[in-house]
Amino acid sequence: MIRVEKQAWATMVAHAEKKFPNECCGAMIGRIDGDSKHVTDAVLMENAYAGAQGARYELRPEDLLEADRKARAAGLDLIGIFHSHPDCDAYFSKTDLENSCPWYSFVVLSVKGGKFDHAASFLPNADQTAAEKEELIWPKS
Amino acid sequence: MAKILIPTPLRQYADRKDAVELDGSTVGEVLGALTSQFPDLRKQIFNDEGKLRSFVNVYLNDEDIRYLKKDATPVANGDTLSIVPSIAGGATDVAPAQRDMSVAEPSTALSQDEILRYSRHLIMPEVGMEGQLKLKNAKILLVGTGGLGAPLGMYLAAAGVGRIGLVDFDVVDFTNLQRQVIHGTKDVGRKKLDSAAETMQDINPYVRIDKYEVALSSENALDILAPYDLVIDGTDNFPTRYLVNDACVILKKPNVYGSIFRFEGQASVFAYPGGPCYRCLYPEPPPPGLVPSCAEGGVLGILPGVIGLIQATEAVKLILGTGEPLVGRLLLYDALAMRFRELKLRKNPDCPVCGDHPTVTKLIDYQQFCGIPQQAQAPAEAPGEINAVEVKAKIDRGDDFQLIDVREPHEWQIGHIPQAKLIPLGELVKRLRELDSKREIIAHCKSGVRSAKACNILRQHGFARVSNLKGGILAWSDTVDPSVPKY
Repeated sequence: MIRVEKQAWATMVAHAEKKFPNECCGAMIGRIDGDSKHVTDAVLMENAYAGAQGARYELRPEDLLEADRKARAAGLDLIGIFHSHPDCDAYFSKTDLENSCPWYSFVVLSVKGGKFDHAASFLPNADQTAAEKEELIWPKS
Repeated sequence: MAKILIPTPLRQYADRKDAVELDGSTVGEVLGALTSQFPDLRKQIFNDEGKLRSFVNVYLNDEDIRYLKKDATPVANGDTLSIVPSIAGGATDVAPAQRDMSVAEPSTALSQDEILRYSRHLIMPEVGMEGQLKLKNAKILLVGTGGLGAPLGMYLAAAGVGRIGLVDFDVVDFTNLQRQVIHGTKDVGRKKLDSAAETMQDINPYVRIDKYEVALSSENALDILAPYDLVIDGTDNFPTRYLVNDACVILKKPNVYGSIFRFEGQASVFAYPGGPCYRCLYPEPPPPGLVPSCAEGGVLGILPGVIGLIQATEAVKLILGTGEPLVGRLLLYDALAMRFRELKLRKNPDCPVCGDHPTVTKLIDYQQFCGIPQQAQAPAEAPGEINAVEVKAKIDRGDDFQLIDVREPHEWQIGHIPQAKLIPLGELVKRLRELDSKREIIAHCKSGVRSAKACNILRQHGFARVSNLKGGILAWSDTVDPSVPKY
């Protein structure tokens, strides 16, 4: 289960809506307590994909390294990655799966017509051939 | 000694440590020391060949070792190594409609804005919250955004159907505006898909619209139809109508049918479980040219509004699962008499598509089935045809010939070629004596179809020097005299 706190969630949603109709991306930072992950901070990143970004994103490893440092400095953990699907539901696409890694939670935000619609979280398996859905809890305003 | 930072998810394999201090003079040695101390980490970081896994990057301080000396990169005391995955993705891999519908979760609640918007539905027990959620979770494919598609698109969007697919590849023109109310004067020249989607989105921003800018064909129909709960046929031609019918039967999806001509329309629900299909009613298409299209025969502008909304009503009822669907009944509407009639339809056990022993089990070539040649429009004039520019040249040269207009008097009133003589097609045979069989005759109509028939009639009656003005008065307006209005 992954729970995103209000401030972090608002940051993620605003980023996703702002980048619409392109995909946005970023990292989620917080604490892990057993099976329960608690996101307290969202780190916004630039979509580094070199091409049309309406249905593609890429994280710069340097940005992820920086996010990890920030987390460590605050005594927190890097928990997951988020990105958006503009005008498309929050599912884990083949492209998402093949370019993911098995270590993190992957939260997908569906943005429709520029407005956040729904979201889901996924955990890719060890060899990135499938992803299982993870319970995602976000603040419903 | 160098420090390796362990990513959070991997700490479970490293005694829960967030960092480990290790000896080694190169990156390769340090990583080797790490995995020999914590063997479970090995398969997280390395593949079976002992190479770093494809998504794993190793950074020495701020530098990616790929751009240094890779495994051989020297490590000094106090250096920090980090393991950073490469991550990318995107929703690119499948066609827009297919990519998510199978995994989309149904909505279980309406927002406050939606509750307000749909309040007149919600206060009726036949719809209520449950019904409105059914509408919100419904997926309807609308084939065509013309006369029938216009009211369908607008009302289905307003009613809160969550997802509406539109199939059209046409562009809005002025002759559409008399009935296709989803498009406005400002939209002339735009893609119908864009214009329709914009209107629907303006009516209801909660609706998701999938646009398919294609001609529905045997190759794409099953893929396009598959994700939707039901299909509404708003087409105006026989090949597509049979295609939609057969695809719906094959996919077991209800097909909400409607058609219009002049002052009359019909509607029914086909391919509903246990009910008949369009082929049970019309096993074979009419010969090409026998049934005129709306462009040829005209249509009362309001008529598609009436028929389209009957289709919309049936679609909404099917989704709500309420009322008595128009299954096994063909509803006939006559606007001039202002009468509705109903014919009983039975499922035909010998139907080639939905019968007990179907012979059509996959999509066929519907152009061929409907007797329409693959290349309907020959690029050059066929024998016996003449183009508008040549006719104008003949007039200007003072050539001796008779130009006859075989349209109807009310069409003549819209506009005509000054040198032409009006003899409506239906009167031609009894007015043959008005024509001189020794002189050349050129016949024209609106677009060239009726005048081709006129030419054949004339030839059968011994007129030898007969030709057809290709493209009719529309071509005349386009290439000779734009002051003659097109209609």
